[in-house]
Amino acid sequence: MQEEALGWVIRTRDPDFVDWEAFTLWLEGDPARAAAYDALMAADADLDAIIPSSPAPLPAALPIAANDPGEPRHRTWRWVGGGAIAAALVATISLSMMNRADIYTITTRPGETQTIALDDGTRIDVNGGTTLRLDHNNTRFAALDSGEAAFTVRHDATDPFRVTVGDAVFEDAGTVFNIVHTGGATRIGVSEGKVIYNPQAEAISLPAGRALADDGDGLRVMDVAPAAVASWRQGRLVYANAAVAEISQDIARSLGIALTTTPGARAMRFTGTIRLDKDPARFFAGAAPLMGLSAIRTGDGWMLKEGNGPQS
Amino acid sequence: MATGLSALFMANRAALLRFLRARGAGENAEDLIQDMWMKLESKDIGPVADPLPYLYRMANNLMLDRYRSATRRERREQDWAEGAGGVMADPVDDMPVDERLILNQTLDEAREALRALGPRVELVFRRFRIEGVGQRAIAEELGVSLTTVEKDLQKAYRAMIALKQKMDTA
Repeated sequence: MQEEALGWVIRTRDPDFVDWEAFTLWLEGDPARAAAYDALMAADADLDAIIPSSPAPLPAALPIAANDPGEPRHRTWRWVGGGAIAAALVATISLSMMNRADIYTITTRPGETQTIALDDGTRIDVNGGTTLRLDHNNTRFAALDSGEAAFTVRHDATDPFRVTVGDAVFEDAGTVFNIVHTGGATRIGVSEGKVIYNPQAEAISLPAGRALADDGDGLRVMDVAPAAVASWRQGRLVYANAAVAEISQDIARSLGIALTTTPGARAMRFTGTIRLDKDPARFFAGAAPLMGLSAIRTGDGWMLKEGNGPQS
Repeated sequence: MATGLSALFMANRAALLRFLRARGAGENAEDLIQDMWMKLESKDIGPVADPLPYLYRMANNLMLDRYRSATRRERREQDWAEGAGGVMADPVDDMPVDERLILNQTLDEAREALRALGPRVELVFRRFRIEGVGQRAIAEELGVSLTTVEKDLQKAYRAMIALKQKMDTA
């Protein structure tokens, strides 16, 4: 039981723990379990007195600030894995070593948007269906776990704003940019200033009007109309030769609906502006023919298929 | 926002009550639920990312506080009986030199124990326990599986709790 209780101590201490029903069921299995859990939680709290606040002095392995050039840090952190991961890791560690990380999570439901103003003057517009992590003690950090967010960053060359997306890091250089992260794909568009992709590894520079995609087809850089970046904030979606597969994800997120596409529709591409409308029926009546598609209502959502068929 | 949280609280009152009972609140469960309600009503809590887990965590913290104050009272009564008085001094501020030496030695020992587990286990434990980062985020940072992070944490916790117990009985 001690082992099980320790497992629950660790799980419930996790800031992202959600399965309280399972924890309730475990507790109900035996009244002694609550006492074992309490005792271990108290032991955990007592650890504060004995946990050394600074790491053991590992020879030459202490992470240095990410913006501190010149040290061959890849060698010492090789055990972690590839260069990009190591770079992301070093960045996060050195940040959190300066001031204790106090991470909190922002979640929006599909169709719901939220605007966050950080103390440093940075604004983040969060689109629907998005999970974003921020740090109370470090306003220059954000992690986009899934969904879409537009960043209007107050630039500070000595303390760049960094967004981590999976293993990748985007670093601002005075910037307005939009990031989408769904499944295994990441897309970023830059409308002002400049963003550096993975400064510690590929270090790809993305000036205004450039976009980067990292998905099943690999890493690609392309052009994007600056006005199209984060256009969802103005209630429209702007595309230049974009795949309907991407567009349908944007629509689902912005409208808060379940949207599927047929393989034929997914393969099509679209250039133009789609005006968003909270009423899906009215939206598709205008948008589907515009894309050369038709929309039909399915059980609990909508489906886009090829052809200008009758709207149902 | 607070009203949304209150509505959610009402909708999940039975589940929260059941949780408090399972947590060992016994006949006080109803009182604790009432405490939670008052707290939710009186404070402007602001936007909460995951409202239901937030409520459960609040209930869990109430129980932890109860446990802590109960054990503290026990310990204080014991101290009193032993003639040590009821004053609890801040452990570091007013510490005699020999005790401070022992504390430093303890920290060294803990450091050694953590280091002996290997750099990844130490890093995982540090990120989780000191910096409060979630296991999933740590797994992503390190490019390892969630299971690996869980196992590392269990290993580190076992070592640290064993060390603490050894010192308490010494």
